[in-house]
Amino acid sequence: MARISTIIKQRETRTLLFLILLFVVVGFINTDYLSLQNIDKSLKSSLLYIVLAVGMTFVLLTGNLDISVGGTLGLSAAVCGTILRDGGNIFLAVIAALLIGAFIGLINGFGVIKLKISSFIMTLALLSITRVVQVLYTDGKWVENIPANVKELSKIDIFGMNLLSFFVIVGVIFVQVYLSKSRKGRYYTAIGDNVDGAISLGIPVNRYIAYSFVISGISASLAGLIFVSQIGFVSTNAGAGIELTVIAACVLGGVSLIGGIGTVIGAALGAIILTSINSALVFMKVPAFWNDTISGSLLIIIVVIDALLVFHANKKAKKVRLNARVLQKGAQG
Amino acid sequence: MSMFNKIPRWNLTLFVLIVAEIIVFGMMNPRFWNVTILLNSFNDFIALAIIGFFVTLVVITGGIDISGVSIIGLTSVVTGLLSQVAGINIWISIFCAILIGGLCGLLNGVLIAYGRVQAMVMTLGGMLLYRGIAIVLVGLSGVSTYEGISGFSEGFGQIANGEVMGIPHAVLLFIIMFLIAYILLHRTRYGRYIYLTGINQNTAEYSGINTKKIIASTYVLSGLSAGIAGVVLTSYLGSARSDYGSEYLMPILTVVVLGGTFITGGKGGVVGTALASIILGFMQVGLQMAGVSTQYIGLATGVLLIVSVAFLGINSEFRFNMKRILPQKQNIGG
Repeated sequence: MARISTIIKQRETRTLLFLILLFVVVGFINTDYLSLQNIDKSLKSSLLYIVLAVGMTFVLLTGNLDISVGGTLGLSAAVCGTILRDGGNIFLAVIAALLIGAFIGLINGFGVIKLKISSFIMTLALLSITRVVQVLYTDGKWVENIPANVKELSKIDIFGMNLLSFFVIVGVIFVQVYLSKSRKGRYYTAIGDNVDGAISLGIPVNRYIAYSFVISGISASLAGLIFVSQIGFVSTNAGAGIELTVIAACVLGGVSLIGGIGTVIGAALGAIILTSINSALVFMKVPAFWNDTISGSLLIIIVVIDALLVFHANKKAKKVRLNARVLQKGAQG
Repeated sequence: MSMFNKIPRWNLTLFVLIVAEIIVFGMMNPRFWNVTILLNSFNDFIALAIIGFFVTLVVITGGIDISGVSIIGLTSVVTGLLSQVAGINIWISIFCAILIGGLCGLLNGVLIAYGRVQAMVMTLGGMLLYRGIAIVLVGLSGVSTYEGISGFSEGFGQIANGEVMGIPHAVLLFIIMFLIAYILLHRTRYGRYIYLTGINQNTAEYSGINTKKIIASTYVLSGLSAGIAGVVLTSYLGSARSDYGSEYLMPILTVVVLGGTFITGGKGGVVGTALASIILGFMQVGLQMAGVSTQYIGLATGVLLIVSVAFLGINSEFRFNMKRILPQKQNIGG
């Protein structure tokens, strides 16, 4: 067990090192990139992705996939935006958005557990359904004219740090502690690592898979709230394609799509890397159209390195085990 | 045996669905019963059907390929740049573009089969990368992203828009690509190996099948088909753009899964995919004719996807349970 945890630790440190390397290299080319102001800005623009990645990690840990987060984000942002625009209470707007996220998560969970639909298909279907519901709800129009004080919320500073960033960082640390230290938090990893084993241990597997989808849905609606307050309007295709970026961020941060491996901190670091590439290109005066190529090749390279490392680790472990068995037999004989 | 008994039954259900669609949509708008319009509507879903046929092979091996949606855009841009900007003969450009689609598939396949990367992650990376390359190519060449590259010759436009003896080229292409996929999967040893790999890769490996080669080859085929789809789409729409196909992710997986292919691999077939793509295509046309906005079609396909998969899943589980309850009956049947 100690060994596995050290490997995981290594994976997160690698991601962190890569992030630092990215900042240093770009900083060499343009020193402005290392200014506190820019780091704060990078963090701020990645908040949305961090929140989504945290929710996604829960689902990925159990060995499932949630493609519907983009749709959930769009729908909850649209509903929250409309309530605020029409002069509604801000708490009502927040609660409505969170309820929508939880409800979509519940439907996902129901499909995966009860209807036995592969999570990929189920959430993909829900992604297109939520998109249509958003269009129906907003009549295909953008939600604009959201009161300015909502936008101010994303600009509040506390101790020289953005309040939202502060909340998100604290939240990530809290979730990390929950997932790695709490008994129930570890259920998610256990389910993804070995479902049959988890069932034998008496873990309510289905319930925790449902929880993971609900958590992912709620995170997506939280991201929708951040979207409303940071951007200030909701277009009909808000969050389109974001689900794939989030999965890419999780994978970059060392979360396995098979389940059972990964941490929330890693996923958050992955999210920061992906958004930092955007701003790094601007600071390096590289045209923005290089963005997808760089993110894509980065993802592939890191994933291939990971696969090779895991393969060699397995091979080594097998060898050690074989040697141990041979030695045992030799001792007996 | 149950596996082979079951698929045709699902295909029959799909066929009934198509007939039902034709009747219902025809009653809503009699123009739907016009054979010419119906055949011409193939142009609207030919690209996703072509990719769907070969993604079916990938899914049967137990993998998944979502990078096809980006390969469409890439091959479209490559065709446009080579023929319109570099001035190379259009047919050579098309050949190069499809070849590049195959190369993208090769990269996916090699890294998945030999590099042991998860198919979903790899093709997700590929999706970003290939779309990125297409955008970079457009950006470097200085062509307008919104207008795309146009000015193709008449002959190129005929690929998708022409017709032979009243039958649109799109229908012929659909049949040709379907036959290629069908023969590969259901009539050759290669196809048998694809199924065996998907049912149990280790067993297949031990019985002397080079499963890695089989898996890698399905991704190459899928990449090539995406290349062909990109060329056909460019020909149909008359201009080359990098964002073609970006909305196809959902429909492609829908036709594969609705066609009765198990996402876990080992079961399925291209006949189902062909029928499912016709269902999806006709639904789109039918809803449009009935005056429903295109934006709402996602709702219909999403519900269709969930219902079909739930039905397939519950159906197989039901049979499995029935067999366990009635073991003697299975013996009589077998």
